[in-house]
This record gives sequence, C-alpha cells and structure tokens, in this order.
Amino acid sequence: MTPSRRDVLIGTASLGLAAAGLAALPAGAFAAPFDAAAWRRYADRFLQPDGRIVDTGNKGVSHSEGQGYGMLLAAAAGDRAAFDRMWGWTQRTLMVRGDGLVAWRWTPDGGVTDRNNASDGDMLIAWALLRAAELWKTEAYRTAAVAIVKALEAGLLVEHAGLTVLLPGRDGFRKGDTLVLNPSYWIFPAIRAFAALPGGERWGRLTDAGLVLLSKARFGGFQLPPDWMALDTAGTVTVADGFKKQYGYDAVRVPLYLAWDGYRDPYYFRPYADLVAKFGGSTVPATVSLPGGTTTQVAASVGMLAVYRLACRLAGAGGDMVTVPPLAPDEDYYSTTLFHLSALAAQSLGIDP
Amino acid sequence: MTRPVLLSTLLLAGIAALGGGSDAWAQSHGGGRALAPGVKVEVAPAPGSGSAPAAGKVDETALRYYARIGDGERLEAEIARLRALDPTWEPPKDLFAPQPTTPGIDETPFWNLVSAGKVAEARAAIAEQRRKSPSWQPSDKLLQELDLAESAGRIRSASDTKRWQEVVDAAAANPEAVACNRLDNAWRLAEAYAELKQTDRAFDTYKTIVTSCPKAKERRDTIFKASRHLSPDRLRELTALGATANPATGEDYSTVRTAEAELETGRLLERLGNSKAGALSAADLSRVQGIVRDKQDADGAIALGWYFQKQKNFAEAQSWFSQANGWAPSDRAAEGLVLAYNGLGEKAQARAAAAPWKGKSNRVDQALKAVDPPRGPAGGGRGGPQGPSELDRALARQDYAACIAIIRASIAKSGPTAALLQQRGWCLLELKRPSEAEAAFAEAQVLAAREPAKGGASAGGASAGAAVPRTPSAGGLPQSATLAQENAYGQAIARLATGDVAGLTRDLPRANMTAAQKAEIRASLMATEANRALEDKRYNDVLRLLDARKQLEPEPRNLGILRGWALYNLMRYDEAYDQFKAIDDRLSTEESREGVTITWKTIYHDW
Repeated sequence: MTPSRRDVLIGTASLGLAAAGLAALPAGAFAAPFDAAAWRRYADRFLQPDGRIVDTGNKGVSHSEGQGYGMLLAAAAGDRAAFDRMWGWTQRTLMVRGDGLVAWRWTPDGGVTDRNNASDGDMLIAWALLRAAELWKTEAYRTAAVAIVKALEAGLLVEHAGLTVLLPGRDGFRKGDTLVLNPSYWIFPAIRAFAALPGGERWGRLTDAGLVLLSKARFGGFQLPPDWMALDTAGTVTVADGFKKQYGYDAVRVPLYLAWDGYRDPYYFRPYADLVAKFGGSTVPATVSLPGGTTTQVAASVGMLAVYRLACRLAGAGGDMVTVPPLAPDEDYYSTTLFHLSALAAQSLGIDP
Repeated sequence: MTRPVLLSTLLLAGIAALGGGSDAWAQSHGGGRALAPGVKVEVAPAPGSGSAPAAGKVDETALRYYARIGDGERLEAEIARLRALDPTWEPPKDLFAPQPTTPGIDETPFWNLVSAGKVAEARAAIAEQRRKSPSWQPSDKLLQELDLAESAGRIRSASDTKRWQEVVDAAAANPEAVACNRLDNAWRLAEAYAELKQTDRAFDTYKTIVTSCPKAKERRDTIFKASRHLSPDRLRELTALGATANPATGEDYSTVRTAEAELETGRLLERLGNSKAGALSAADLSRVQGIVRDKQDADGAIALGWYFQKQKNFAEAQSWFSQANGWAPSDRAAEGLVLAYNGLGEKAQARAAAAPWKGKSNRVDQALKAVDPPRGPAGGGRGGPQGPSELDRALARQDYAACIAIIRASIAKSGPTAALLQQRGWCLLELKRPSEAEAAFAEAQVLAAREPAKGGASAGGASAGAAVPRTPSAGGLPQSATLAQENAYGQAIARLATGDVAGLTRDLPRANMTAAQKAEIRASLMATEANRALEDKRYNDVLRLLDARKQLEPEPRNLGILRGWALYNLMRYDEAYDQFKAIDDRLSTEESREGVTITWKTIYHDW
C-alpha cells in the first residue's frame, strides 16, 4: 500500500458553491497573517487533547504529515505545550517501526494501519523539531531531529540517473529501473535545514536534483508538475503509471515549498499563474489531468487559492489575480493548513507582513 | 558566406542559424513570418525597413560568450546578426581581451549547460542564482535560448504522444521552435494540423517551409513528408513553389521538382506489381517509363516488363526485360526475357537468354519449361510441334490458380505423376500456400522413386531413379537438376516459407540438390537469419550473414536496407548513410528515404 495522500473527500465544494462564496467577498483581500490567534483557532479545530492532528477531510484519520504541519505551526506561534503534546503522540503512536522513521497513517478504528513511512511526513516532523530546538534552545529536539534525518538519509535518499533523489516511502516506489517520486515531497526549506547539519552534503544535492526534476516535470498545456512522476535511469521524467495522472492535491505544494525556501525565479511559478489566468475570475479547478489537461468539477480550496496567490506574485503576474476568501468555519484540515503555510512562506519572503 | 546549418549541438544550432544573418534566418523570419500560420514572430526590422533599434542597445552577451569559448564560427554569425539589427554597430575592440570580472553575474556556467544540452540543469542553476541574488536577472538571450530548447522538446514529446493540439499550442507559443533550422519540428507541426483535419493550415505550414527554407534537400524532403497528408493537386502546387520560390545561390532545386515524380513512380511501380490493379493510363505509363529509363532502374524495368507481359504485349515486355538485363544482369530479368521471347514465338532467342542461368537459377529453369515443355503428362500431349500446352500457357502468364486447376483436372483424368505433383508444388508456393506445397513436393518425391527412370539410365547415383532430362540441350549438362533434386529443392523453398529455418539448416547439407540449388537455399536462409539477427539486435551478425550471402548472390534491395539499419545501429553512421543513399538514388521509396533521413539527422544532430 502506498501512502497516497489525498482522496476526493478533499475540496468537496463544487465549482458552483465556491463561485457563490467568492462573489460575496471583497476583492483583493490580503493574506491573513499567521499569528497566535490563528493558531488557537487551528488547534481548536484540528488538535485533539492527546496531541493528535485530525484530517477532517479524510474521515478523521491522522498521519505523519499532519503531525509535522501541526508542530511547524505550533512552533511558529510559540505554543510549546501544544508542540510537546503533538511530538509526544507522534513518538508514542507513530514511531513504531524501529528504524527511526514514522509510520505514516493512523485511523481511529485501527490505529496504525500502514507501517510504511511517508518521507514528507518524516521531513516535516524533523524540520519542526529543528525549529523548536532553535526557538526554545532545547538540545533534545535537535537530537531527535538528527536521528530522523539520518534515518531518512540511510533509507530514502538514493542516487539515480546522476541525481540524489528522495523515495516517497521506504517500501515500494521502485519499478524495475524506474523510480516513482513525488515532486511535492521536496520540502525545500526543510531540505536546506538538513543540508546545514554536519555531514548534510547529500541533502544539498537533493535540492539541486529537485530543481532539475521540476524543470523536467512540466506536462500538458500548463506545464504543471504531476502528483506522482517516474524517473528512469536515463534521467527522463514521465507522469507515473499506476497513480492518477494528474496535477492536484499533492503537487499544489510544489510552488509553496519553493517560495518558502526563497526561490523567486518566475520560470518555476509561471505554470500556476497560467492555470489561474486560464480560469480568470472564476474558480480554479482542484485537479488537472496530465498531460491531457482535463479539469475536475471540484474547485480549488481556499488553501490552494492561497498558494496560487503566492505563486502568481512570484510569477510576476500579480497577486491580485487570485482572490483568496477567508477560511470557512468548517474549512477542512488540508485547506486550512495550506492557507497558513502560504502566509508563513510569504512572511519569510518578506512579501507579506 | 556559406555556413553549415547543422551544428553539433541542438541548442547552439539554434543560436547559429538564428544569428546567421543568413538566408535561413532572413527568409524564415523576415517580416514577422512564422511557420505557425497566424502567429507572428517579433523580429527586429531588417535594415532599412523601419526604425533601427537605438545604438548601444545591442545585447552582446552571446557574442562575448562565443569569444570566450573561442567558437569563431558562431562568433562570426553573431556579429552578422547584430550588424543586421543595427548597421551602425561595430564589434567591441576588446572582444578577445580577457574580460574584467563584471560586477553582475557571470553567465558562462549557464551557457555551458545550455551548450551541453542540459536545459533543466541550466534552469536549476539560474533559479539557485536568483535565489542568492534576487536583484539579478538572466540576459534575455539566455532565457530565449532556454525557452526555445524547451518549446522544441515540448513539440517533440507532444507529437510523439499524438497530442496534436498541444503541438500546435507549443509552436504558437514559440514559433522559432519550428523554424528552418528545426525542420523536424516544423514537419511535426504540419502533421499535427493534418491530424487535426486542418488541412489548409497543414498546407500553409509545408508551403512556408518549401518557400522559405533555402536548402533544396530540405524542400525535397518536405515534399515527401507532405505526400502523406496532401492531395495530389496540392502536392503539385507545393512542388512548384518549392522548385521556384526564393531561390538561394548554389542550390539546385531540380531535385525538388523530381520529388513529386518519384513519389508518383513509387506509387505506379507498386500498382504495376499488383496484379489486381487495373491498367495504367497512358500518361502514367509514359511517366513511369521515363523515370525508370532516366534512373536506369532495373527493378522498375522488370516491373514494367511484367506489366506488359501480362497484357500479352510481348514485344514491349521483351524490350523492358532486355533493358533490365542490360543495366543489371539478373536471373529475374532473364526469366522475364525468356518468357517474353517465348510469347513472341522466338524460341531460339528465349533459349539464348536462358543460357547464362540454366542450371543455376530455378526461375530460369522454370521459365524454360514454357519454351521447351518437358515430355510426358505435364505437357498434356505430344508437345513439340503443337506449341505450349494449356498448363505451360498458364505458367507463362503467371496464372497459378489456373495451374492448380489444370493439374487437378489432369490428375483426375489420367492419374498423378511426379512431374505434375512437383509443378503443383511450385504453383502452391507462388500462391503463398507453403505447407500444401511442401506436401506436394513430398508426394512427388515418393512417386518419383516409383517411376521408372527415363533416359539417362546410366547416369550417376544422384540421378538414379528419377533423371528427367528436360530439354534436348539440357539433357547432357551435369548441372541440370534431376526431378528428385527439383523435389528436394521445392520442399526446401516451402519450408523456408513456413519458417522452418532451424530444420532446414540442419537438413541442407544432406539434401539431394544441385550445388546451385543449395547455394540459393543457403542464401535465403542467411537472409532470414539476418532479419532475425536484426530483430535480436545482433547487428554484427547481421553484417556477417549479409556479407556471406553476398558471396552467393547479389544483394537485393530489401537486404540492402537491412544492412543499412545494422550499420546504423552499430553507430557506423557514415557507412549507413552511404548505403541508404545508394539505394535511394536508384529508386526512392518510403523505406529508403526513411533510412537516408534518419541517418542524416543522427549524423548532424538535427532532431
């Protein structure tokens, strides 16, 4: 079983509904900054008292990614108690593999139902720990982070076609000579933090490879990256077989992570601006088939729009191309998270307060 | 100034042609013309055609890059291009002096990646640089190069996966990607329009190519490409344009004009060979005859010979078979000649034509049967003075279905003979029914063993029991095959046709056949093996087999093509090109053109 991250439950708002919502909003709203108040609302909705982040869009399951995002947001808001509760639950419940990596998925009914890891979840947790170590001057966080980074390095970083790449999980993802990779697992700012650790040179090469792969992984009329891509030994990138051949809920994070790490080359952001421009003032579709270009009836969520707003600004197309509505009271976990992460990325770039 | 349009790397080929100041650039882009209909390229106005850009605004990035890496040819081209943009501009005096490190960012590493074809790596390196120096912007020239390379790649991949609209979109987004120096992409665009049923746009695209790309060879290849998508009328229009529009000095466009005729000849020759197709019009016939004569194309002459032979126009047939035999003597030409003379009633001439091949070529020996029918039941009577039998006449007109019917009737009337069954085997083979043929030869063999020997009773062991001297003159020749040998040979041919290569190879040395028959079977076996070796990618084996085969028999056209691909796959591109070219020069067909084009593109990196 592969850690496939999103299913259709996410973003259930139909285009019609979303369009109606947009019409009621003032145009050109600025991204809401992520602050302590925002964090409290987030925790109220998604953080259980035991330290578990609930994916409300996916039947209330939890996963390593959610724990990582929650820990990052708590650190950004300076909420150490919440951070510790999340880290505690993660260690107790998900770090059951014995190799230092994190089991990726937990369900209310069955607990850990898939012991495979999801490399982006591991990375988010380790990166949050590194940030916490700095913020709260706590060596234990740093030690824990380094252990995860080393485990990732040993099991997930591989050399292929002259590139250092990241396998999406410990098991699977090798099909003969071809690797299946996930472009959105290149969490550039996290990778940069790992590269700065002693002996972190391979992580530096992972960044280089990520930029090269993202230049190759441009498909269809919009030149968007796929959720899942295949890399053969010759270095050729294709849309991976056996997965939905689309740009969607996974790959929308690609521009987010690039921006967060300080990349500003319009070349890497133009595909998203082109997508937004195509759908103009109306709603952007949540997924685009690749390379065909068929779009879904499901609209991009508020959080995805927040990412697009950022991408449009960096593409030189202007952020006012995208109107980001405020979060709805029942906005799901993923959309809300993307919304706040976009704000953090914009803040780190210095383009938002 | 002549300039090789094809350079070693894809990307810099783009730069050089773009910078050529050359006819290629001027003609494909002058006045905003583009290969994508409806899309205009923004080009700086040609000197004198409007306001020139302000002096001092010339982008010398690429110029300095070429100077630094010492690429004189591209440097020269870039100077010409910049002069065309701004006639008042002079190349900087310090071009070859070591440059003080400029305060900006040195673009050399990016250009080096671009030169090496590492476009994604160049993009990555630029993004990284921009991350470090947010105020820095890469030069326009560098970005254009990258866009161009990516667009070209996009057109290729979209066309490979038959996403025709995306081909059109990508070309529209970057028309330079379908300029003359990327002819393959221009063809892909035209094909995309054709696939999208936008025939007018396909035609316009081809038209732009044949009127603006200066090389005759490119125009000619374009005619061949277009032939798959355009009607004969439009193709004719295209050819006329390609042969006359915007001629460049030193180019011979007569080859463009003949392209259409060659296409037509190829089609006509196919029809000639296809017995089901009707008669050709007088005009078509005269055209194909003219071209076959011009090219001294023996294969074409043989095809014409059979065409007339079937119409019982034996005089014309004889003339073409003679012609073929004169250009390139072969048993196929001799076979036709024998039958044509026979049709004219000139038996002595027929025998003379057969003489060089008698006993060496089964075809010719078979043809001779029509001239001097073997005595006995196969002759259906006394033979001799009465002229050829019904069966002989059927064979002479290559009517194998009739052959089967006549033999069936004959057997029903007076019982089977070895000779009749053997003839049945040959006719079945011609009808591509090899398993039945093999059975017929085996039956003939059994019967022959029981039949009393006729004449030559004192002949050697090999002929014991079945020596049937066919003709008075052939009777004494030791080379002439016995009936038993004919049967064995027929069986071998049938087994070849059923694909029993391994068994045949095993049995051949012990088979009762003449040396000539064995050689012929061996040659066929080697051809089959060579084909198999090519499929298995054992290219050296292909060449080894074909070389050995050549010792036995001249190499036919199809095996020549096979040889070409083996050479190609062994990366012996020059030899492969020469091989394909030689075949193509004799008669240009789809497959010979494909060989020439692909090899040429490989050699010159012109994908």
